[in-house]
Amino acid sequence: MADASLPILLLALPFAGSIIAMLLPANAQRAEVWLAAAIALIALIVTASGYAAVAHGDVIRVAAAWLPGVDFSLRLDGYAWMFSLIVTGIGFLVIIYARYYMSAQDPLPRFFSFLLAFMGSMLGVILSGNLILIVFFWELTSLFSFLLIGYWHHNPAARDGARMALVVTAAGGLCLLGSMLVVGHIVGSYDLDRVLAAGDGIRNSDLYLIALVLLLLGAFTKSAQFPFHFWLPNAMSAPTPVSAYLHSAAMVMLGVFLLARLWPVFSGTDEWMWLVATPGLVTFVFGAYVAIFQNDLKGLLAYSTISHLGLITLLLGLNSPLAAVAAIFHMMNHATFKASLFMAAGVIDHEAGSRDIRRLSGLIRFMPITATLAMVAAAAMAGVPLLNGFLSKEMFFAESLQVEGPLPWLDRALPYLATIAGTFSVAYSIRFIHGVFFGPDPVDLPRTPHEAPRWMRLPIEVLVLACIVVGVAPAATVGPILDVAVRAVLGSQAPPYSLAVWHGASVPLLMSFVALGAGAVLYYLLRDYFAGGADRVPLLPEIDSRRIFDRLLVAVSWRWARALERRVATRRLQPQLRVLVVLALVAAAWPVYERGLVFGTRASHVDPALAIVWTIGGACAIAAAWQARLHRLVALILASGAGLVTCITFVWFSAPDLALTQLLVEIVTAVLLLLGLRWLPQPVVLQRTSAQRRAAFARRGRDLLIALAAGGGLATIAYAAMTHTGSATISRFFVTRALPEGGGTNVVNVILVDFRGFDTLGEITVLAAVAVAVYSLLRRFRPARESTGPLPQQRRQSARTAANDLVVPGVIMRAMFAPIVVLALYLLLRGHDLPGGGFVAGITLAIAIIVQYMAAGTRWVEDRLRIRPVRMMGIGLALAGATGAGAWLFAHPFLTSHVAHVALPVFGEVHLPSAFLFDIGVFLLVVGATTLILIALAHQSLRAHREER
Amino acid sequence: MNPQAHFVILPIVLPFAAGVMTLLVDERHLAAKAAISVVMTLTLVAAAVMLLRFVDVDGTQVYRVGDWPAPFGIVLVADRLSAALVLLASGLCLACLVFALARWHREGPRFHTLVHFLLMGVNGAFLTGDLFNLFVFFEVLLAASYGLALHGSGPARVRAGLHYIVVNLVASLLFLIGASLMYSATGTLNLADLASRVANMGDGERALVESAAAILGIAFLTKAGLWPLCFWLAPTYASASAPAAALFAILTKVGVYVVLRIWLLLFAAGSVAPAAFGSAWLAVGGMATILFGTIGVIASQNLSRLASYSVLVSSGTLLAVIALQHPMVTSAALYYLVASTLGSAALFLLIELVERGRTAGADVLAVTAEAFAADTLSIEADDGAGVPIPATMALLGLCFVACALMLAGLPPLAGFVAKFALLDALFRTSPIPPFAWTMLVLLLVSGLAVLIGMGRAGMRRFWASPEVAVPRVRVIEMLAVAFLLAACAAITVEAAPVLRYLGEAAQALHAPRGYIDDVLARP
Amino acid sequence: MNEVVVAAAIGVLASSGVWLMLRPRTFQVAIGLSLLSYGVNLFIFAAGGLRVGAAPIVAAGAPADPAALADPLPQALVLTAIVIGFATTALFLIVLLAARGLTGTDHVDGQESDA
Repeated sequence: MADASLPILLLALPFAGSIIAMLLPANAQRAEVWLAAAIALIALIVTASGYAAVAHGDVIRVAAAWLPGVDFSLRLDGYAWMFSLIVTGIGFLVIIYARYYMSAQDPLPRFFSFLLAFMGSMLGVILSGNLILIVFFWELTSLFSFLLIGYWHHNPAARDGARMALVVTAAGGLCLLGSMLVVGHIVGSYDLDRVLAAGDGIRNSDLYLIALVLLLLGAFTKSAQFPFHFWLPNAMSAPTPVSAYLHSAAMVMLGVFLLARLWPVFSGTDEWMWLVATPGLVTFVFGAYVAIFQNDLKGLLAYSTISHLGLITLLLGLNSPLAAVAAIFHMMNHATFKASLFMAAGVIDHEAGSRDIRRLSGLIRFMPITATLAMVAAAAMAGVPLLNGFLSKEMFFAESLQVEGPLPWLDRALPYLATIAGTFSVAYSIRFIHGVFFGPDPVDLPRTPHEAPRWMRLPIEVLVLACIVVGVAPAATVGPILDVAVRAVLGSQAPPYSLAVWHGASVPLLMSFVALGAGAVLYYLLRDYFAGGADRVPLLPEIDSRRIFDRLLVAVSWRWARALERRVATRRLQPQLRVLVVLALVAAAWPVYERGLVFGTRASHVDPALAIVWTIGGACAIAAAWQARLHRLVALILASGAGLVTCITFVWFSAPDLALTQLLVEIVTAVLLLLGLRWLPQPVVLQRTSAQRRAAFARRGRDLLIALAAGGGLATIAYAAMTHTGSATISRFFVTRALPEGGGTNVVNVILVDFRGFDTLGEITVLAAVAVAVYSLLRRFRPARESTGPLPQQRRQSARTAANDLVVPGVIMRAMFAPIVVLALYLLLRGHDLPGGGFVAGITLAIAIIVQYMAAGTRWVEDRLRIRPVRMMGIGLALAGATGAGAWLFAHPFLTSHVAHVALPVFGEVHLPSAFLFDIGVFLLVVGATTLILIALAHQSLRAHREER
Repeated sequence: MNPQAHFVILPIVLPFAAGVMTLLVDERHLAAKAAISVVMTLTLVAAAVMLLRFVDVDGTQVYRVGDWPAPFGIVLVADRLSAALVLLASGLCLACLVFALARWHREGPRFHTLVHFLLMGVNGAFLTGDLFNLFVFFEVLLAASYGLALHGSGPARVRAGLHYIVVNLVASLLFLIGASLMYSATGTLNLADLASRVANMGDGERALVESAAAILGIAFLTKAGLWPLCFWLAPTYASASAPAAALFAILTKVGVYVVLRIWLLLFAAGSVAPAAFGSAWLAVGGMATILFGTIGVIASQNLSRLASYSVLVSSGTLLAVIALQHPMVTSAALYYLVASTLGSAALFLLIELVERGRTAGADVLAVTAEAFAADTLSIEADDGAGVPIPATMALLGLCFVACALMLAGLPPLAGFVAKFALLDALFRTSPIPPFAWTMLVLLLVSGLAVLIGMGRAGMRRFWASPEVAVPRVRVIEMLAVAFLLAACAAITVEAAPVLRYLGEAAQALHAPRGYIDDVLARP
Repeated sequence: MNEVVVAAAIGVLASSGVWLMLRPRTFQVAIGLSLLSYGVNLFIFAAGGLRVGAAPIVAAGAPADPAALADPLPQALVLTAIVIGFATTALFLIVLLAARGLTGTDHVDGQESDA
């Protein structure tokens, strides 16, 4: 059906236009303007064409599945239709206006792109058939208003205004999301139709208050209700078309739009009246009062907007359908006259170069037409009869008389307050007109004022015409539109109301005239005050909301946050490790404490020799801990001692492979550390004050406790684990299958290269990665200055010729090369059956090579023996990987091994499992990686010497 | 066995192969390396997609490495979750590689090798079904990440790297202790076997198992960045080179994944009660992490630090909500995981481009010259007239806004969908638990904080200075960022199928029986 | 009670390792980490139970009896752990040197702590 496409079209058009505009080059001869105008016009026409459908009160729905529980559903009913009319219509006019307002240097594509995108988001909120979708577009409007306010971002005021608007409205949007979640929880669906049908359920729910408060936080921030109003005046640093559109007609309306949309669901309770009417009333009066004393035209209009939004909020809060009708009606009226007034202010600013009422005067002689238009619009704003503003205000006065709220005195006070606020609005309207257009000719204006170009006035003319026509013949013109909207919102509760200009001489009429008269008098009385050019609002404490907001933001997001961060975080290593260890302790101890640890009975007899060995080992460890700070070499040796004892333990408890590996790794690590020691600074004994010493003592005490606890804990669970007689382990499988299927008698090695060869693949990858990291790090490494010079020992040596004392060992070491290589190969070959294997062999060969380095020095070795560690590593990895992938050829999983039996001359008949190739890969990689690391480190000394020269 | 089955191991073997190839190619032929990496990674992404669809259609795939039967040999298990995460990691890696091609891979040797090894480790961790093998892959990814964290060297990186390495070494030792303790308590290393053995185990024996699990948990949570185990994270990520930092965005998620997988497997398998073990601690810790991240986000001027803290926020959120162990919540959390990873990775890449303008990296062509025919000189700001942002800046600004929205969880990108899905899932239970309210507040506040922080930084960079120093940006760099953001957009538009898929993944997680049976089934 | 001895050994190694790990000098941390890894290796090994004179090497020909041999799996794990430990220790040492070279101090935080 054609109808269904209507909302889709409405939504898609502006966004498409926005994207196109964004892609236009900056110098596009205003193509973007025509694009934007066309888009807006089409949207307007499309909207208008929808009247036929909504006129009969039926609702156009389109939905596409999006999130679980949230369809991307659009819903066009009378109310949405009315708003779309406002948004597209005024949008169109604003675009035409902007064409002449914006200067040629402005990057217009961006401007119109944002403007269209904003229009799209507006329509999105209006047409959403789903609460979450409403929030979705709601936040988008905040975003684009941010971008539009900050459009002239070279101006700090614009930046601050933009950020303030963003933070306030986005925060409100988040609250709105919360509210919608709660509503969705109550109703069990986010679908707008379901929600609108579930009014009673929501009102009676015990979550009603939370939902309401969150909703109002969202609405009030958007519609600039007291005390969230402060962002709106600061948003006035946006280009005037933006102010005319977003901040009078469109975005700020969203809050009240939503309140009206959900009016049937939320209203009717005392909480509603309290929480909606009260802020509305306050905003209404407060805004009007403050507006009187604004010297900036746009500031005046901003506060008047705040006041009018307050009026609408108040009307919605009165819990009476008729008041709701008035509210909806006033939304339309306010949009028309306020937009036109903003445009007029823009014209004045544009043609006279100033917006300051104190500097402007007598402009009617320079721009008569604009002046007339402005006067009519202002009159509408003041509520002068025969203009649209009068009608809705009349309705409001009528309502204020027969309100029945929870507080009688407030009900009685309301008419008076209403009249007072009306008086204020009359006063500021008069000030707007009289201050700008009448009086003597202006002096020292930036530009000599003159009439605005024809097309710039057109939008204003159209809107003002609307004000008059509606004001004169409401029933004939706006009647049907309002009727459609009202029926859509209120449904069955829609009350009978009359849109006549003349209701007879009634109290409301009286109130209107009182307000008009009193307003004029008030302005007359205040004339001298204005003439004084004072820049503050009397009777109110001077509050610069902008500064307060910034201060607050800085305080929260800067001082407090940083202080807190310092409090809860650390950039030092020791505390982190402390926390880590302690947490691990607690975590491990907790279940034990909960369930209690059971020590099994699987225990062997004691071995005194082992005990003795370990007294030595433990002594080594503790001594190392003791000495590591000042005597590094000693500590290193002691630590190696502990390592040695560990090796012995491995041998003791029948783990020859471990012992072998541990021993070799021991050696290489020692060499590494020895090479490294040279680059460390000489340890210094810090001179501490007694206070520092005490602090250090406390610190050490704490660390000692932590260390002891950690050790004790580990020992305890170790004992528990050792004595624990567990269920059958998976390793019986390995023992039984090692020879028949793994083709090796050394079960450990078979596990490494076959059963769990995948681990080994990962493990050698780790080695490779580390080697690469080390290599790339050392390439950039520059040793610290002081450590490049010869060490004290060397100096001592230099008495004798340093070279000679290595001659004899040197010869021996060189001679050892061949035997060690053979040993390495032997270890590699036998690995699968006896202790040994690729890793051990690789380390051995690496040691052989490094021994050569030690004996003869880097240059000598590299002249004779060309090692390409990286290449070796690559080949090794490739070999291992290829062995694994080879299995694919036989349609087996990765790393499936195959055993071949070959007869070799020397070793006799040997199993040759494919895993053996894998082991060779490991071997190559280990050699490569180890030598790479060691050599890279060894080279530092060369470089150091080079740098000395 | 049918060749399709081998897809399971490809995500590990392909990066390995790529790493080896790039290792064998000499440093001088950088172009060749680049070509190899990109081609291999593209292949990997394709393979990951195939695996995902394969798993989605045919269900969980178990791959017995070395053809040894289940509890004894090492198995790889590709279920929906693993497949999705593998795809995420691979795609992320592709973006980072492409980004690095512009300049970063020249900053130090063997960049490509390290990246591929990292990816191998990550994918391995996602796929493996064996506790000790998991340790090995953790070490692979850590070793590579050490190298990448130090990539480009410099005092800041080395200082941060030192801390990073030490903390993770200790965490690895904890991992070893936990794993071996687990073995001695249960006599097995296969996760499924472990789960089934733990499920029917006496109260007395449980102590050791739970103690082991707790130690493992600490190790994983250190990697996931749970407060107060996360202080190493911000300096490391902030000082790492852009592509490395972007890659690291997935590392914390590995930690989260492992917690989710093992914890639910071990302690929900008995399904006597939903794994009560440690859930309260996890929830509290997660919330604390969110708060900590939020504070950090607000407090940090430096964009990279801000991004790092936003990473913390996301992992805190994940840990907090998975503690609830509600399948719906978990599926939302998984969506959040994907979204936040993409978002923060994109941000890390973008930051480098944005900041580059300040430190004039004028060594490469500007995207403006190549792609857009717009003038890059900026007109002096005079009365009323705005400053046309050069196209590059406009583009960067657009991406920046997108990232901000992603991380702040605002519309229209996936960040909002994720946040909504989470909250919606939390608010489904009736009556609404206090936990849900707390999370609501925390999520909204943290979102606002990110918005404020990013807004401040962005305005300073893009708006404050009328004379914008236009960064020189290569097209491929923009492409990388755009690719990640496009992925965000895609999962936003296609939210329904994505959530469906992740929902099923979450269901499987919460019903570990199926996993166990799949793995232990006799071939 | 060999178990007690070994447990005590593990405890001593771990304690001194942790203590050193918490010290401010990088070299101390390095030594501490290696001591700690000895302890952990021993722990993994011990977790499989202690057997004397039962090296897991099966005799060719005769069917292997799992009960007669020490548990080979922990040994394999320890081997992997040793290798990885070696690699990371090496890396840490290099980073330690680089840090010292770049920051000019051997304090773990790259600057002398005020405390």
